[in-house]
Amino acid sequence: MARQPVPDILAGTLDLLILRTLHHERRHGWAISERIQQISLDVLQVNQGSLYPALHRLEHQGWIDAEWGISELGRRAKYYRLTAAGRRQLAVEAGEWERMAAAIARVMKMA
Amino acid sequence: MNFRDLRLRVRAVFAPRRVERELDDELAFHIERETRKHVAAGLNLTDARARARARFGSAALAADQCRDARGTAFVDTAVRDVLYALRTFRRTPLVALTIVGTIAVGLGLVAAVFTIFNTLVFSVNPVRDPDALFAVERVAAPNSERVRFTWPDYEALRRETDVFSGAFARLVDIDSRIEGRVMGGELVTGNYFDVLGVNAALGRSLTPADDVRHAGRQVLVLSHRGWSRLFASDPDIVGREMTVSGFRYVIVGVMPERFRGLGLAPPDYWAPLSLMGQVRPIHAGREDTIGIEIIGRLKPGLSRTTALAGLAVWASRGAGGLSADGRPGSITLEPRRTFVTLSAEVVLVFLPIFFVFGLILLIGCANVANLLLARALSRQREIGIRLSVGASRHRIIRQLLTESLVLALASAVCAFAIARLVLQVTVSVVLRTLPPELAENVSITAPGTDWRVAVFLVIAAIASTVLFGLVPALQGTRLDLIRTMRGEVTSDSRPRRARNALIVVQVTASALLLICASIFLRGALRASTADPGWRLADNVIVEINNEPFRQAMVAATTADPAVTMVAAMWPGVLGQPRAVFASASAKATADKQAAGRADGARSPEVYRFVSPEYFSLLDIRVLRGRAFTQSEASSNAAVAMVSESTARTIWPNQEAVGQVLRLEADQHSETRRQDEPTLPSSTFTVVGVVRDVAGFRMAGYPEAGVYVPASPARAETDLIARVHGDPEIVRRTLVERLTSIDPNMGLVLTMRTLGRMETYLLQVGFWVTVVLGGLALILTVSGVFGVLSYLVERRTKEIGVRIALGATSANVTALVLGQSLRVVGIGLIAGAALAWILATVLMTTSAAAQIGGIVNVFDLPAYAASLLCIVIACILAASLPAARAARIDPIATLRQD
Repeated sequence: MARQPVPDILAGTLDLLILRTLHHERRHGWAISERIQQISLDVLQVNQGSLYPALHRLEHQGWIDAEWGISELGRRAKYYRLTAAGRRQLAVEAGEWERMAAAIARVMKMA
Repeated sequence: MNFRDLRLRVRAVFAPRRVERELDDELAFHIERETRKHVAAGLNLTDARARARARFGSAALAADQCRDARGTAFVDTAVRDVLYALRTFRRTPLVALTIVGTIAVGLGLVAAVFTIFNTLVFSVNPVRDPDALFAVERVAAPNSERVRFTWPDYEALRRETDVFSGAFARLVDIDSRIEGRVMGGELVTGNYFDVLGVNAALGRSLTPADDVRHAGRQVLVLSHRGWSRLFASDPDIVGREMTVSGFRYVIVGVMPERFRGLGLAPPDYWAPLSLMGQVRPIHAGREDTIGIEIIGRLKPGLSRTTALAGLAVWASRGAGGLSADGRPGSITLEPRRTFVTLSAEVVLVFLPIFFVFGLILLIGCANVANLLLARALSRQREIGIRLSVGASRHRIIRQLLTESLVLALASAVCAFAIARLVLQVTVSVVLRTLPPELAENVSITAPGTDWRVAVFLVIAAIASTVLFGLVPALQGTRLDLIRTMRGEVTSDSRPRRARNALIVVQVTASALLLICASIFLRGALRASTADPGWRLADNVIVEINNEPFRQAMVAATTADPAVTMVAAMWPGVLGQPRAVFASASAKATADKQAAGRADGARSPEVYRFVSPEYFSLLDIRVLRGRAFTQSEASSNAAVAMVSESTARTIWPNQEAVGQVLRLEADQHSETRRQDEPTLPSSTFTVVGVVRDVAGFRMAGYPEAGVYVPASPARAETDLIARVHGDPEIVRRTLVERLTSIDPNMGLVLTMRTLGRMETYLLQVGFWVTVVLGGLALILTVSGVFGVLSYLVERRTKEIGVRIALGATSANVTALVLGQSLRVVGIGLIAGAALAWILATVLMTTSAAAQIGGIVNVFDLPAYAASLLCIVIACILAASLPAARAARIDPIATLRQD
C-alpha cells in the first residue's frame, strides 16, 4: 500500500485523546487505538508502542483506573476507565487544546 | 505522588512477577485483537498475525517503556545489575575474592587508624549537651608551666562570674592500690554528675551535699568498670564499704556503662573532691593550694567569645585570675566536647600515620587496577556484544558501576572486621609485651566504633573501587564494535603505560615503607646493643611519691632482706633532668687563664643529686679523687663530682679535682616545679671525677655531667636498691611491703625493665613498619607476578616467533625480566628519593629532630638493604613467568590459529 506516511499524533496530545475516548465508557487498549483511528477517519494512527506506556503513565497519575474484564473475544483484557481526577484533567486539557487550536487557526487564517 | 501511584509502585516492587504477567497479557491481547481484525477483513491467520505484529512494533520495547512508566525501573535495573554482577563474580570467583581481599586489607588498616582518630577527635563525650562544656584555664606564660586553679579560685569563680549555668572542679588520675590492684580514681565536686547530666544506674550519684568537708559519712560512686573489676558486678553493692588509702567509704551508687566521664576510659570510682586530703594523704592540710581542673557549662545562648570576655573581666579584677607572679593572667576556654579538639596540630600528627597506612591501600588498589585492566580485555567481547544488541553505553556503565559498588560494600564489610582484628591484636600485643610493672598500671582497650567509622569505610571503599575499578572498565566501553565482536582485541597502547605506571607506584610505596622499617630496625638494634653505662642486672628503682611516708619507705626498703645497698637520686626515673650552666669559678683559683675564662665559658650541663652509694651501685667508676662521704650527703655540702667529659670541657688542661665549679640554674630552657630540690649554693668544690655514662637517650634519661650530694632523707629523691636474687621477684615483694605503708605510692621498676623500655618504642616503630612493609612487598610482588604472567600469555605468539627465529631461552628470559626490571628500577629510585626527601622535611620539625638523634634517618645501609630486598623479591616474582616464556614451544604457538 503506497499510502502517505501517517502523521504522528501531535506531541502531548496522545494523553488528551486517550482521556477523551474514555469519556463515556471503559475500553481496553486496542479499542482505544481503534476508536481514535475510526473517529479521525484514519488520519490519526496511534503508535501502538507508545499507547501502552502512555496508559500506564496515566494510570500512575491517577487519571485512569484499570480493571480486568472479559473482552468481546471472551478473553481476559485490561479495561481502562476515567477517574474523577481524570475527568477534571480532561476538562483542563480539552480547554487548553481548544484555545491552542483556535489560536493556530487564527494565525493560519489571518497572518 | 498520589495514593494510587504509590499502590501501583508498591505492587510492582513486591509482586513483580504478577505485574509482569499482566503486562504480557495486556500486550498479547492487543496483538490477538488486531489479528482478529485482519482475519475478519479476509486475511489468513499467518498474514494477519504478521501484520498485527508489524503494526505494533517491538513488544519488548513497549513493555520496557511501560516498566519505565511504573517508576520502579530504577529498582528493577538495580536488582538486575546486582544479580548480573553476582553472576559475573560466580563465574570468576578468584578475581572477585582478590579484589575484595586486597582492598579490605588496605582499607582495614586505614580504618583502624581512623577508629583511633575518631575516638580521640570526633567521639563526643557521652554527656548532656557537650557543646556547652568548656574547661577554664590560665594561659601559660612562655617557658613556664601552666599555673592551675585552686579550690579558692574555683569558689571565687562560681561566686563572682555568671557565665556558667554550672561549673565543677576535678582532680583526675588518682592511682591507689586497692586490694593489690592499681585502681584509678577521680575526685570531683558534688555537682559533677548534675552538670554533666548523668544519673546513676544503681543507687545515687554524688550531690553538692557531699562537698562539705568531714560531713560524717564518706561516700564514693563506682564506675561501671570499677564495679565489674572490684566487685564482679554485684547487684547488692550499694551501701557496702570499701577502703581507699586507709579510709572507709560507703559506695552510694554505680554509674551507667556508657558514662566514661570526660576521658577516654572511665576511672574506677569518683570520690568527693573535698576528701582530697584523705585520698591523697600528701595533700592533707594544704587542700587549698592543690591545682585542680575547672570545667563549666556555659549558660544557654552564651557564645564562647562572650563568656571569655566575662571571664577576662573577672580575671582583671584580680582575685582568682592572678597568675603565679602576681600579674592578672589571661584566661582561655578549652572545649570539652570531645577528648581532643581538632586542630592543625592534631591533623599534623595523624597525617603521616594515615599516609603510611594509606600506602598499603594504594598498593592494593594498584593491584586491583592492574587486574581489571587485564580483565577489561577479556570483557571487551562481552561488552561489545551487549553494545551491539542495543544496550546503551549509559546502561553498561551503570552495570559496571553496580559491579564496583557491590565489590566496595563487600570490601567495606571485610575491612570492618579486619580493622577490629588489627586493633584488638595490637592492644593485646602491647599489653603482653609491655613490662608487667607498667602493664598493670595501664588500661588499654580497643577503641570502639560508631557510625562515623562505618560511613568512612563505605565512602572509602566506594572511592577506591570506583576509582580503580571503573576507570579501566570505562575504557572498555569505548571500543570498535565490529572488531571486538570478531574477538580481535583492540591493542591500545594506553593500558600498557597505565600498567607500568601502576607498578612504579607500587614499588615506590613499598620501597618507602621498607626503608622506614629498616631504619627503625637498625635504630632498635643499635639502642639495644648500646651500653647505657649503668649496671642494670640487679637494681630496682623505688619511686617515693608522698613525702609523709618517706622515712618509713626508706626504712622498709633498706630493711628488705633481699636488698644489699640503697642509693638516692633526683631527678627520679621519669623526671626531666635539670639543666645548669657550669663554669670554672674564678674566685677559688689564682690561675689567670681560668679567671679570664670564667665569665664567658659557661657550659650547659645536666646535674643530678645522688647519694654516695650511687656510684658503686650503678658501677660508675671514680677515676680521680673520691666519692661523696655520708656526712657531705646529709649536710648538703657544697661539693660536686663531675664526669670525665665535663671535666675536660671546663678545665681542658688541668686536673679537675680540687677546682671550684660554679653552677647557675638555667631559668629559661626548663619548666620547673616549685617544690623541686634546689642547689645549696652556687659554687662547689670538685672532689672527684667519674667515667662518662651514656644513659638512656630514648627515654630522655641522660646521665648527668655534674653530681651534687644528697641523702635518701632529702625530699623528692627516689631510691635505687641493689638486690640479690631475681629482681622481678624482689620487686613484687617490695611492692607488697611498701603498699602497706603508702597505698598511693609510685612505681617500683627493675633497671632491666627500664633498659627494655629504652628500645620498646623503636621496636614498636619497627614492627609497625615491618608489617606494613611486608604487606606492601607481598602486594607488589603479586602485582608484578600477575602482570608479567599476563603479558607473557598475551605475547605467546610473538615469543614463539622469536624462538622460531633463533632466540635462545636466555634471550627470552632476559626480554621478560628486562621489561619488568626497568619499571621496578624506576620505582626503587623514586621510593628512595621520596624517603630521603620526606626525612629531610621531617627533620626540620622539632619533634622529629629528637627522633633524629636516636635513629639515623639517612642510614645508607638501611636504604640499600631494603632496596635489595625489593629487587630480589621482584626478580623472584618475574622469574616464574620468564621461565614459562622460555619454555614456549614455537611450533605449538604458531599452529594455534
